[in-house]
Amino acid sequence: MRSLADVEVLTAETVEEALHLLGERAGSVRVLAGGTDLVVQMKHGVVEKTDLLNIYGLDELRYIRLDNAVVKIGALTDFSSIVKSPIIQRAAPVLAEACSTIGSTQILNKATIAGNIINASPAADSLPALYVLEANLRLRSRSSSRTVAVREFYKGYKKLDLRPDELLVEVFFDQLTNSHYGKFFKHGLRQGDAIAVVNGAVLIEWDETSGTVSDARVALGAVAPTVVRAEKTEEILKGGRLDKETVIRAAEAVQQSIKPIDDVRGSAAYRRELATNYVYMTLRSLAELVGR
Amino acid sequence: MTMTGSRVVREFSFKLNGQPVTVKAPPAYTLLETLRYVLRLTGTKDGCSSGDCGACTVLLDGRAVHSCLTLTAQVQGREVFTVEGADSRVINAFASEGAVQCGYCTPGLVMATEDLLRKNPKPSTDEIRESLRGNLCRCTGYVKIVKAVKAAAGV
Repeated sequence: MRSLADVEVLTAETVEEALHLLGERAGSVRVLAGGTDLVVQMKHGVVEKTDLLNIYGLDELRYIRLDNAVVKIGALTDFSSIVKSPIIQRAAPVLAEACSTIGSTQILNKATIAGNIINASPAADSLPALYVLEANLRLRSRSSSRTVAVREFYKGYKKLDLRPDELLVEVFFDQLTNSHYGKFFKHGLRQGDAIAVVNGAVLIEWDETSGTVSDARVALGAVAPTVVRAEKTEEILKGGRLDKETVIRAAEAVQQSIKPIDDVRGSAAYRRELATNYVYMTLRSLAELVGR
Repeated sequence: MTMTGSRVVREFSFKLNGQPVTVKAPPAYTLLETLRYVLRLTGTKDGCSSGDCGACTVLLDGRAVHSCLTLTAQVQGREVFTVEGADSRVINAFASEGAVQCGYCTPGLVMATEDLLRKNPKPSTDEIRESLRGNLCRCTGYVKIVKAVKAAAGV
C-alpha cells in the first residue's frame, strides 16, 4: 500500500474558489470529496497519485431541499443525511433505501452523493435509484453551468460527460407522488458493508382506478459497464396488471438489457440469474403493496 | 505551487478531544497517520487502511468516520474525538462485560458505540448490530460486544 505523504492537497474555502482552481489546474487535479473511494484507490495504486482539490469543507454544498416539487441535494451531502432526511423519506423513499445499503456507518457518514456519482462504479448503490428517479446533475465551471440527465452522464465504463474544469454541484429530481411505489434491491456477499453483485431499483406509478401500471422504470447495476434501464421490462409493465404472468414475463425480459461479466464477486451467469430473480421478487412485493 | 511527488508539510488546526491543536503534517497524511505518528496518540488503530475493518474509527464533527480514509487537510477547522477522549462509561462497559480479548478492534468499537449512543441513547439489539456492522472483531466475538453496548446504554 502506498503512502500519500507526497501528495499535494489544495483546499478550497468556497465553491467559487474551487471552480477557479479547477479551471486553472484542469486535468492535473482530482477532486476530493468524502474520499472513501478515492483515498483507497490512490493507496492501492488503482489510480495514479495526483494533486488533490479538497472540497470537503464546502458546507454550502450540503443541503436537501424541496423546491416547487423538485428535490435538490447538494453535492457534498453524505449518505447518513440522505437516509434520515424526512424530505427524501417522503419524496423519494427508494433513494433512502438504496443509500442505506452503501456501506458501514463510517462510510455513510463520510461518503457523498457526488462522490458516488463521479466515481462511476457500475455497482454504485445510489445510481439505480437516481436512474429510476430520472435525476439531473448540475455541473458548474468558472464560466458555465449546465444540466445533464444522469442517464446521459455515463458514456461507458467510468467514462463521464464531464469536462476537467467542471464540478458536480447538485443532484435534483421531481418528487414522487402517492401513486408511485418504489423498491431498491441489492445482492451483496454479506448484509453489511459489501459491494453489490447485482443491484437495482424498480419504480412504478399505479393507476388505482384501472388497476394497471401507468408508468414503470427499472434500473439495474453491476450487470453492464454502466447502470442500465431495462427498457423491454418497462414496456411489458406499462399499461399492464401486476399479475404473476406479467411479472414473470417482465422479469425475464431484463436479459435483453444486461451484459454482465465474470469477476471476483460473481460470474456473468450468476448475475443473469440474480437480475431476473430479483426483479421478479421486487415486482411481486410491489404488487402486494398496491394490493394485487 | 508544489506538485505531487515532492513532500510538503503544512500546519493544520482543529479541535482534538475538546482542545484546540495545531499540527505540522503532510496534507495527504491520513488523519490516522497524523494522530499516531505526529501527535503520538496511539489509541486509534490501523487495521486494514482501506475503510473495511473500522479499527481506526474516530468521531469527526460528532460522527464516526474512518481516520484511515480521512486526509489531514480534511479536518482543518473541524472537531475530532479519538478513543483517548472517549466517554468512560463506554470504555468501562467494554471492560466489565469482557468485550475485549486481543483489544485491537476495541478503540474503533468504542468510537462507533459513541456515535450510536449520541444518536440513539437506548438502542435495540438490532440497532446495535446494524450500526456496528462496519467494525470487525476476529477474536472476542460479537455477543459480548453487543452486551457491552447495552450496558453502556443502560438497556
